Amino acid sequence: MSTDDDSLYTSPDDEERHRRLLDETEYDTELGLEMARDAQRVSAGELSEVEFYRRYHERIVEEFDIDDREIDLPDPDEAEGSGEGFLDDLGSVLADVDPETDESRRSVMQKGAAVAGGLAVGGWGTVQNAAGQDGGGGADAPGDDEEGTRWGMTINLNNCDGCLACMVACDQEHNLSRGAHWMYVFAYEDEGQADENFLPRTCQHCTDSPCTKVCPVGARHTRTEDGLVLTDYDICIGCRYCEVSCPYGVNYFQWGEPDVPESEIDEDTQYDDRGRWVGNRPPEGVMGKCTFCVDRQDGAMGEDLVGTTACEEACAMDAIHFGDLNDPESAPNRHLREYREAQPNDTSEFPDRKEHTVSTFELLAERGTEPNVTFVGNEPSPHAEQVEGPVTYEEMGLVDDRKEVLDDGATATQGGESA
Amino acid sequence: MSVDVTSVDRDTLLRPIETLSRRYVAALAVALGLIGVWLAFYVQQLQHGLVVTNLSDWGSGGGVPWGLYIGAFIWWVGIAHGGIILSAAVRLLGMDTYQPVARLAELLTIAALSCAGLFILIHVGRPDRLVTSVLPAWPTCVQWSPLMWDVTVITAYFVLTATYLLLTIRYDVSRLRDRLPPRLEPLYRALLVGYSETEDAVVERMVWWLAFAIIIMAPLLLHGGVIPWLFALLPSMAGWHGGVQGPSFLSIALTSAVSGIVIVSAAFRYAYDWEALIPDAVFRGLGQWLGFFGLIFLWLQLQQVITGIFAAPTTLQHATEVKISTPLYWVAIGLVAAAMLYVFASSLRPTLFSIPALVVASVGVLVGTLVEKVLFVVEGLQHAHFDLYNGVPGAYTPSAVELSALAGTVGIVALFFLVVSKVIPVVELHAIEDYEEVDT
Ligand code: SF4
Ligand code: SF4
Ligand code: SF4
Repeated sequence: MSTDDDSLYTSPDDEERHRRLLDETEYDTELGLEMARDAQRVSAGELSEVEFYRRYHERIVEEFDIDDREIDLPDPDEAEGSGEGFLDDLGSVLADVDPETDESRRSVMQKGAAVAGGLAVGGWGTVQNAAGQDGGGGADAPGDDEEGTRWGMTINLNNCDGCLACMVACDQEHNLSRGAHWMYVFAYEDEGQADENFLPRTCQHCTDSPCTKVCPVGARHTRTEDGLVLTDYDICIGCRYCEVSCPYGVNYFQWGEPDVPESEIDEDTQYDDRGRWVGNRPPEGVMGKCTFCVDRQDGAMGEDLVGTTACEEACAMDAIHFGDLNDPESAPNRHLREYREAQPNDTSEFPDRKEHTVSTFELLAERGTEPNVTFVGNEPSPHAEQVEGPVTYEEMGLVDDRKEVLDDGATATQGGESA
Repeated sequence: MSVDVTSVDRDTLLRPIETLSRRYVAALAVALGLIGVWLAFYVQQLQHGLVVTNLSDWGSGGGVPWGLYIGAFIWWVGIAHGGIILSAAVRLLGMDTYQPVARLAELLTIAALSCAGLFILIHVGRPDRLVTSVLPAWPTCVQWSPLMWDVTVITAYFVLTATYLLLTIRYDVSRLRDRLPPRLEPLYRALLVGYSETEDAVVERMVWWLAFAIIIMAPLLLHGGVIPWLFALLPSMAGWHGGVQGPSFLSIALTSAVSGIVIVSAAFRYAYDWEALIPDAVFRGLGQWLGFFGLIFLWLQLQQVITGIFAAPTTLQHATEVKISTPLYWVAIGLVAAAMLYVFASSLRPTLFSIPALVVASVGVLVGTLVEKVLFVVEGLQHAHFDLYNGVPGAYTPSAVELSALAGTVGIVALFFLVVSKVIPVVELHAIEDYEEVDT
């Protein structure tokens, strides 16, 4: 990436900051901001690179007074085929403008063009990945780098009281069939822990997810723009290999006809911002699991709900914190920080102690999956055992053991014919 | 220990094609009946989805998402691979004793691979998408997904075997054409497109190279490679991980395949009085291979059990303890051990040897390897590293729909042999006549 300021601008605050930067220059503020916005659309795959070129080429020349040959932009049609995008070239060309001959142009490069060019170049890499196979085998998964969005959670087990409200909320919002629990709350007893403990379990949206590696058709994939691990319901062949490879048991196959028919599902919640069917419950014969409420993240349920999940919203105990792990001020990061700050360690006598007394863990970290969910509390030991919680699944109208539902289905459909 | 069967005449070889017995019709009816039963059940699965199986989600779902279908898939692939390895060994190492059953082994490979493919088809939730989803994804997913490796290698194997079979069939058909049923003439003409006797030498060399490729590929890629890797590479299940799975799968494949060949060969020998064409020596030899592969199978099971219970990590230890306390596992081991002991005993005391007894032992071995394979899949899935769930270990007994598929595929293999034996000689001409004799 070519510039200092190369994070993706997502918040209105950022835009305001760039407006001010651009206003300081003698160049067109609106052009800079427009380009920045469209560059984001390029990175989201909504706008083609060539279109972006066509749209701004003339105005760039007009505004910055650099003509075609000086910039040496490739032919837009060639740019499609060639591995390097013209945006990369644009970025480097702008970066190469000789500072001595034109001081003001230099400031444009650093300020205004940094917004447009730098951002676009930053976004372009993403598009190239997305055009192939999003995070197909995990190699091009977003990883832990600090760029872009990486949705994740901090779940504070110390706050959870096992009310199961999150399970109900998730089941309802996603129209899941009985016994399929994208969110599942364990109540368990463990050696050396006096009380019952609770552990809410979503999909861990692993950065190095085995489920995406093993999927034979690339239906299970990591969305490059934000690290969500999703299933393309239009492609999945229902082989259940992802389910078998996941160490956490978070996948729920649609064994028979879904309880909620297609006609009752809002289409906006099904298709994500790339137009792929990854949201809401899966159709028959296809794999489903927690999506980190992808429809909410894409704004399908309103801008207010971006950065929230149904389970988080339902939690009255402030146990679930969802947000962008790359943003230090996001809910999961802030909660972790504040919780730690509230429980300082006594370092006066033993300066080598860590600063807080908060224990955190990732589930089965030793499996190498790099989960994006961090738990606050004590990790259940191998001897922990699930027990009946203060609120039972039945009380909340939930079926715990899905096999009971499926066995009913099996005998009902086989009638008296089977021996 | 080469056996000379060159005294056998062409009439004997062509007996299946030139006769039609009541027993044949009865066998055909049984095969079609088995297929019919399965189809009747399978219609339910098409109508209602996989809910008609006894599978469920692992985790809170209290079941296992893979079961008999996948176990049977591995089993059929094993039979197929062993069959072709055996036939390739005959050609490569010049094990002429087994020449009379080489083509039967190749045919078994084709039939068994088809059944394996069928099990994938009925295992998946959306069989309608197999082509539309798999083909476009192939270039990318073959880099990562062990399942895609399987699909690729199995397809390659199918093509290799079919080519191999076709090349050798052309030779026979061209020489026996006047004795083959005229109503199938168009088929024979198609088989012989572009054939001339000058190709024989080239074909012989090609067949040798194909056999070479098969022998090399089998342990590295196939039943010693991509099939066990389907399981051994996963981070989720304790009982599946580890390097021993490759050799272990291969030993099971070879054991089952020899059993399959024994059964098929004995059936043809019995049906067509082929005592001279497929002599006792063939069965004695196959029996010894069965015993030898069985021994390796048992040895590798021992490896797994010992490393699994002696100071193993908690979850693996637990999985192994459950495995060795499952009575069915001991049934599987017992069946293979019994066959091995019988075979070794009968080599020491030749009077103990009889073909019916060997067939019984082979059926036992096939039951044993099927049970072992299904248990491997199911028990593997019951012992995840993450076992906090009440629903882990999940419960599973195959449903009628699933069991019927097993019967259906056995019917398909039987049907395949019944039909093919009426069309082409199922024993090569080479078994009874040398090249030179034919050419003059
Ligand atoms: S928790 Fe399981 S399903 Fe979710 S990303 Fe990780 S491996 Fe995949
Ligand atoms: S069930 Fe679907 S998503 Fe999962 S591995 Fe198979 S094809 Fe991929
Ligand atoms: S993040 Fe959304 S999909 Fe995932 S468990 Fe919570 S509510 Fe369900």
